Amino acid sequence: MKILIADDSRAMRMIVTRTLRQAGLSGHELIEAENGREALDLVAKHSPDLILSDWNMPEMTGIDFLRTLRANGIGTPFCFVTSEGSEEMRDLATASGALGLIAKPFTAEGFLEVLGSVVGA
Amino acid sequence: MTTIDELEDVRPDLESLLTDVLYSVVGEEAYPTDDPLPHGPVATSRLAAHDELEDRYLGVQVRVGAVLARLLASRMMAVGDPSPEDLLDAVGELGNIIGGNVKTLMFHTARLSLPVADLADQGTDPDAELPGVVVRAQVFGQVAELALIPDGPVDGLFWPPSVTDDVMESTS
Repeated sequence: MKILIADDSRAMRMIVTRTLRQAGLSGHELIEAENGREALDLVAKHSPDLILSDWNMPEMTGIDFLRTLRANGIGTPFCFVTSEGSEEMRDLATASGALGLIAKPFTAEGFLEVLGSVVGA
Repeated sequence: MTTIDELEDVRPDLESLLTDVLYSVVGEEAYPTDDPLPHGPVATSRLAAHDELEDRYLGVQVRVGAVLARLLASRMMAVGDPSPEDLLDAVGELGNIIGGNVKTLMFHTARLSLPVADLADQGTDPDAELPGVVVRAQVFGQVAELALIPDGPVDGLFWPPSVTDDVMESTS
């Protein structure tokens, strides 16, 4: 499957990739974007099967990225991977159509718990 | 409003936050320390949380010496010889993770800036006390410092776009 990772930090995109591997969720095609705007373009181009997105990004935030997808009828499974994990943000994420929110710092077990049902090993 | 007293009340949480994040990103145990930052070049990640109800800012600053900055970048990005850009990206993201957790710890509603990272010599007074609450941790034998500064400076910070409805343009 194709997984789109959107984060303005290359270091964090690499950590997310490594954590997917540690969670046993490797072997998938990975696509990377630096912000929500670029991610939106890559969704149109590549039709990913899963999106892992930061929340705070320049150009377009993760929540605006998600809301734009859903407003356009695109229901790709979407999970936030972000440094902020307040209840308010978790509620907003799920109300906007996200699978959930994985807060940084995270673990491979946390990835597996949220994504295991979506991503096959 | 976040005061020095309120920050002092959560000092143990801030120490745990710093050590937990360091452990998470580099896979090495980190410990609280009172040791100062090393002399010489220091990498700084700076951001702020804006309490929109009170219209007050809490500055968040994470500093590490150049040696630890290189180790962080090397571990986070799995490269043997990180470039200067890698180093700033890694330190910036370290600040971002810590800033996000500080926001969750301290605020019900606030907006977090994007991190701004730089590497610079701290001049002639590297041990100068910051006007806030400072905690430090040691990892790889090197010191990392987290400072929270009420009404800290926000000059030069970038803020992510606000959540709006008008971005829902067609993707086709």
